[in-house]
Amino acid sequence: MAKDLTLLLLLALPLLGFAVNGLFGKRLPKIIVGSLATGLVFTAFLLATSLFSGLHGTQIVHLFNIIDFDQLQINASFQIDALSVWMTLIITGIGSLIHLFSMGYMSHDEGYHKFFTYLNLFIFSMLLLVLGSNYFVLFFGWEGVGMCSYLLISFHYNDAQKGLANSLAGRKAFIMNRIGDVGLLLALFMLLGQFNTLEFLKIGAAVQQNTALQGGAMFFITLSLFIAATGKSAQIPLFTWLPDAMAGPTPVSALIHAATMVTAGIYLTVRSNFLFELAPFTKDIMLYVGLATTLFAAFMALRQNDIKKVLAYSTVSQLGLMFVALGFGAYTVALFHVTTHAFFKALLFLGSGSVIHGMHEEQDIRKMGGLAKLMPVTHFTFLIGTMAISGIPLLSGFFSKDEIMAQALHHNTFVYVVLVLAVTMTAIYMFRLYFLTFHGAFRGGEALKSKVHESGLSMTLPLILLAVLSIFGGLLNLPGLFFKGAAHWFDHYLSHSTFGLSEVHNVHLDFNTSIGLMLFASAVAIGVMIWAYLNYAKKGALAKEDAALSGWERLSAQKLYIDEIYHAVFVRPLLAFSDFIGKVVDIQMLRNGIYALADGILYSANLTRKWQTGFLSSYLFWMIFGLITFIAYYILKLSVWH
Amino acid sequence: MALILLPLVFGIIAWFVPGNISRIFGLIASTVTLAWSIIAVSYFEPSEHLLVDFGLRFVRFSIDSLGFTMVLLTNSVFFLVFLSNFNTSIVHEKRFTALALLMQFGLLGLFTTNTILGFYIFWELTLLPIFLILYWFGAFDKPRALLQFFLYTLVGSLAMLLSIIGLMHLTNQQTYDALLAADIQSFGNTSIFLMGGFLLAFAVKIPLFPFHTWQAETYTKAPTAGTMLLSAIMLKMALFGLLKWVLPIFDGNATDFWRWPVITLGLVGIIYGAVIAIRQQNLKTLFAYASLSHLGLIAAALMLQNEHTNLISVVQIVNHSIVSIGLFLAAGIIEERLGTQQLDQLGGIAKVAPRFGFWFAVLTFVSLSVPFTAGFIGEFFLIKALFSAHTFTGILASTTLVLGAVYMLKAYQVPMFGPTKINSFQDLHWSELAVFAILSIAAIYLGLAPQCITDFVAHSLTQPTH
Repeated sequence: MAKDLTLLLLLALPLLGFAVNGLFGKRLPKIIVGSLATGLVFTAFLLATSLFSGLHGTQIVHLFNIIDFDQLQINASFQIDALSVWMTLIITGIGSLIHLFSMGYMSHDEGYHKFFTYLNLFIFSMLLLVLGSNYFVLFFGWEGVGMCSYLLISFHYNDAQKGLANSLAGRKAFIMNRIGDVGLLLALFMLLGQFNTLEFLKIGAAVQQNTALQGGAMFFITLSLFIAATGKSAQIPLFTWLPDAMAGPTPVSALIHAATMVTAGIYLTVRSNFLFELAPFTKDIMLYVGLATTLFAAFMALRQNDIKKVLAYSTVSQLGLMFVALGFGAYTVALFHVTTHAFFKALLFLGSGSVIHGMHEEQDIRKMGGLAKLMPVTHFTFLIGTMAISGIPLLSGFFSKDEIMAQALHHNTFVYVVLVLAVTMTAIYMFRLYFLTFHGAFRGGEALKSKVHESGLSMTLPLILLAVLSIFGGLLNLPGLFFKGAAHWFDHYLSHSTFGLSEVHNVHLDFNTSIGLMLFASAVAIGVMIWAYLNYAKKGALAKEDAALSGWERLSAQKLYIDEIYHAVFVRPLLAFSDFIGKVVDIQMLRNGIYALADGILYSANLTRKWQTGFLSSYLFWMIFGLITFIAYYILKLSVWH
Repeated sequence: MALILLPLVFGIIAWFVPGNISRIFGLIASTVTLAWSIIAVSYFEPSEHLLVDFGLRFVRFSIDSLGFTMVLLTNSVFFLVFLSNFNTSIVHEKRFTALALLMQFGLLGLFTTNTILGFYIFWELTLLPIFLILYWFGAFDKPRALLQFFLYTLVGSLAMLLSIIGLMHLTNQQTYDALLAADIQSFGNTSIFLMGGFLLAFAVKIPLFPFHTWQAETYTKAPTAGTMLLSAIMLKMALFGLLKWVLPIFDGNATDFWRWPVITLGLVGIIYGAVIAIRQQNLKTLFAYASLSHLGLIAAALMLQNEHTNLISVVQIVNHSIVSIGLFLAAGIIEERLGTQQLDQLGGIAKVAPRFGFWFAVLTFVSLSVPFTAGFIGEFFLIKALFSAHTFTGILASTTLVLGAVYMLKAYQVPMFGPTKINSFQDLHWSELAVFAILSIAAIYLGLAPQCITDFVAHSLTQPTH
């Protein structure tokens, strides 16, 4: 099959699922709805693998023109290259596993068909985002995923206890994302002004030909792009929506808020690498924002007691890590971590979903414990996920993190030290989560304990597959120390057929430093694992009650009070301002001023008493008077002059 | 020229139609006019001007592609208004049907007239029916609220009348083409005053800050059908007047003089309306302020007199009609079934009326200008035009993306998703469902193929004006 047809079919399949389930899903049996949605995404994955195996250079697929003015053309067209195909593989691959998982997870939900409808729409939007060949199509997907994210976060809006919180969380996510979207919008305006096109390749070519591009313009363009990225990828200052987004069903958290949508900001940056390379100052900003995010988010994760909240802050922290890599210009390294993170974070979220499902909607780890025996498959896969994210040697996370640490060590020792701190905290909160959930005694009471069960095959199968990926994902981009031939496969793959990346090279440390770096990282991860085992599993240290928290613990549990600060600094003043101009300026000053005028006129015309008749007739009078005057004038004029 | 006269004939007949079949008559009449205009447009060669002369000295007609677009829009709006209100009490009143059709006649005349005097006559002609509709069917407890609307329009109209008299006197011309050819610029400051008169009338109608205070109250108290007519089509008269008449005729020093003052007012309106909308408790009031925000953008962008921006602004004009019919229909449905549209008394509707929940959500996203809808194309290019003209203006205008999300999500979420405060809610009637579906399809189609409007309109907007 020709590549362009494959691509269009790939896009059409999730859209088809959206349409069929949206229109008829209510009347179809659940098994058909779920299998259809899952099957279509899986077929899309198969198509993506065929694109992947037949990949050769860059190909543009043109569909139609959206805008076609003399100088300005905006097309609905798509780009097949290493980067877009790779993202497509992640989205459809992880996507179909999560669809499969959802068939079990959502089986008791009355909104079953609606859930799969939204999920397919999300896959479609996300594919638009990564496959578009210009910023305009990217923007279509960008806002599309934001909309799906909103719908899925507030999915359980009529839940008796949490309904209101769920819908508010959805709103918060949408609004914060929109702040980022303004950045993207402005970047698009500037790109249009500068290059008169939004096609990636054309802008890239223009950048190469004209090296004397204004530095300031590049700075503002890339800064705006980065602002957009902070919204979607939950970086400081726009990260607070992501923890709240955990209000959505857990498969949504896994797919949208861990594996795919939140990496859109990374994708945008990698895609625009040729612009960022011309704006070193933006790269520095990106580096330090990412660094601060990874550190603070890791700190906030230390004392969360909601199993999903821990993972949410962990996601924010890991995204920060990717931006650090981007800040160093190590685009392929960032994307490598996107890939491994997609494996192990999807695994962890689905694992937590399996726990929540088995625990009958309980999410508080203080009420868990000892689940290892009750849910063996979930336990084992979750352990693998925990080890992968903590950087236990030879698992996927170890390799991708190691590359980022290597970049940091080479460029900037301060950054490296902070990263070590953040990475250590990552291991601490992950093993705390793992041991509190799966080891020790069960703390949820006997009644609940008897009901806890391992999940069915549709849920455990994705867990197993993702666990395998989390173990072996590192093979994609092995370091060059031992495996000369097979090393850096991913770097080569991406830079050979993605525009701009061939010019950018990651640093490679010398042998001794590399070995030292890896040994140190391994020692830290393993040391933390042992400490956490002794502390949480053996000694049975429990998560404390809120009142018993010490100073720093409270700061972590209360998320550094960022939400409260934002509320006081932004939300309350805006509402007060709205009240002020709505009530004082608009009503009291402007409208009442007119009222006073109207009263005056009514009074002087002595119409107040005979209001009902006088009002209308005066209007008619004036209108007809005007008309007659006018026509009379005109006739007079004609008769005089002609 | 049956196209224009048809509503007039129907309107006159409507006075004699018994009340119980008046809603069917209104629907049929508006369907026939819409069908007629669709047939007419299929025979129309977009590059041509269709001249129509009834032998009247001062009122002649000429249809170009822009006029045709507005005619189609008008007829669609009236069709949708009759359809969407099929299930409400107002259409049982033959007075409403007759007045609405009369107003349709006025609007069609305004969009197709070729003489400046005709423009004024039809401008006033549309006012009388809407005024009576508000007066007879509105819920104005205090007369001065309605008087406010009246006073504003009156002052605006008088100013425009003076300008028209002045214009005709100075140039001794009255047709569109002759006025275009006239050398207005040679009048110096006089032309600035003349243009100011027009702008005042338009500023009241659009409305622009600070001439908007009639809007919120009128929209809230008017019957839903009246609000739809006002916001979906009546205020487009002013934008049309700006686009077709005033800006081309006064091209030169007068436009240069007024450009930034009007853009500033538009910009203030964008932010002012959006900020106020955030805290409104009444759905219709909220949508009224939202409308102030949306239209400020179109008016500001029109002042730039940029060829592409003008084309896109027509897309945005159509989009705003779609949005306002949809949103006011939703507000009207809530008000009619529950007797209130105060947000603090609403909640949980989506649970009992899922179809309404779905379609209201679609329209909410359409009004948020998400991609795949006409509003996205419109907002993107209009804000871009402002951004290119003046960076800071563009940045300020783009805050509407965020503020719009704040108030629209509130307007949707509180009544639909909020904690249940209502007992029962009858789901959508077939006629309401049809309207929502038509609006959504139109918005999505235009979002993907805005070219079908811009290409068509380009024939009358991109010809050299001098």
